[in-house]
Amino acid sequence: MTEVTRQQQAETIHAQSSSIAQQLQTISELEIPVIQVWDGILALPIVGTLDTARTQQMNESLLQAIVDTGAEIVIVDITGAPFIDTAIAKHLLETISAAKLLGAEVLLVGITARLALTMIHLGLDLSYVTTRTTMAKGLQLAFERLGLEVVRTKAPAARPAVADGAEA
Amino acid sequence: MARVPIICLGNVLIVTILEDLRDSDAMQLQEDVLTMVERKGARGVLIDISVIECIDSFLGRLLNDIALGSRLLGAEVVLAGIRPAVAITLVELGVELKMLHTAPDADKGWLLLRRRMIGPGTNGLAHDR
Amino acid sequence: MTANLRLSIGEEHDIIAARRSAREMARELGFGVVDQSRIATAVSELTRNVIRYATNSDGEISVNTISDADGHVGLEVVVSDLGPGMADVELALRDGFTSGVGMGMGLPGARRLMDEMTIDTELGKGTTVTARKWRR
Repeated sequence: MTEVTRQQQAETIHAQSSSIAQQLQTISELEIPVIQVWDGILALPIVGTLDTARTQQMNESLLQAIVDTGAEIVIVDITGAPFIDTAIAKHLLETISAAKLLGAEVLLVGITARLALTMIHLGLDLSYVTTRTTMAKGLQLAFERLGLEVVRTKAPAARPAVADGAEA
Repeated sequence: MARVPIICLGNVLIVTILEDLRDSDAMQLQEDVLTMVERKGARGVLIDISVIECIDSFLGRLLNDIALGSRLLGAEVVLAGIRPAVAITLVELGVELKMLHTAPDADKGWLLLRRRMIGPGTNGLAHDR
Repeated sequence: MTANLRLSIGEEHDIIAARRSAREMARELGFGVVDQSRIATAVSELTRNVIRYATNSDGEISVNTISDADGHVGLEVVVSDLGPGMADVELALRDGFTSGVGMGMGLPGARRLMDEMTIDTELGKGTTVTARKWRR
């Protein structure tokens, strides 16, 4: 019985990893969304690998969004990017440079210690890029740059009562 | 040969490039801008390129050189109106516009220029920030 | 619709004419605005090289529509001159390389903007650069 169980387990694991591989493939083919998180602030969550085609698509939609929304700050979040090699780093820097040309400051968030080390080893010049470790910190910095402040006013608003089946 | 008109408003020069520049026109523009910066004691130069559909490596480097020369003469340069397509192409081409500031349009360009001009005299080549 | 285009490159105003025509062809072929910009700029880089380095005679640029077996459509730019030719193509393609007066960004820049590029050159005979971009 142990043999059958082991074989079943092996098959399940195999099926799961194929499914995961397929999902990763899907994710990497998805368009990178450009999200307006606030007036003048755009966020770009990068999930999956960045290849030339994806970076080009990302550049184009980002720049158009900057022009359309008059954004002054763009937060690029690389938390979801599996790994950064020289090619991907170059693509990222291209995006950042292009955004700067349109007058938007770029904040790079989601840097981990490992990533920082990788970038140092790759000898990348990131002296002109502002970075933060999390999206939350990036957002905080963005607000500061724009002269905005988030202030707690009294108690949070009470949630309206929700009837069964009704939407909140 | 096309001469690009340069308007002087106070201590700011305004340059609007309305058509494709031949290489010699571009070099003439460089000479004209620097001459006027010196003559008028300008502290800022706003170059509007919102109509321009193509900036190649020659024009890119030239604009950067204009900014470099202007800085040496005490004026900041803002390039306004880079189209997204032009921005992407410039970046992919590998042209770096290190000596000048950029803005999406003339309005923002003007504001940016005023802000940049308020700082201490820009005699040096040090990048701010 | 213009199927192909041929211009001689002798004076600097030919650079502008070449890139305008190339952009127009790209537009007619259905390339997006950004790709039109890439193609126009690449043409500008390549034709400028001819003006700068093949000073003994006029060069030529032809732009043709191309398609492949899978039905993809694209644009092929061929820039040829009877100039001095290049001794080391690899070196010339390396970023930032300048050959004396400065081929500078011409070739590496154009290659980055286009999808494919091949260079045929012989010292003392001339150079032909063929670059292609496929419509996505």
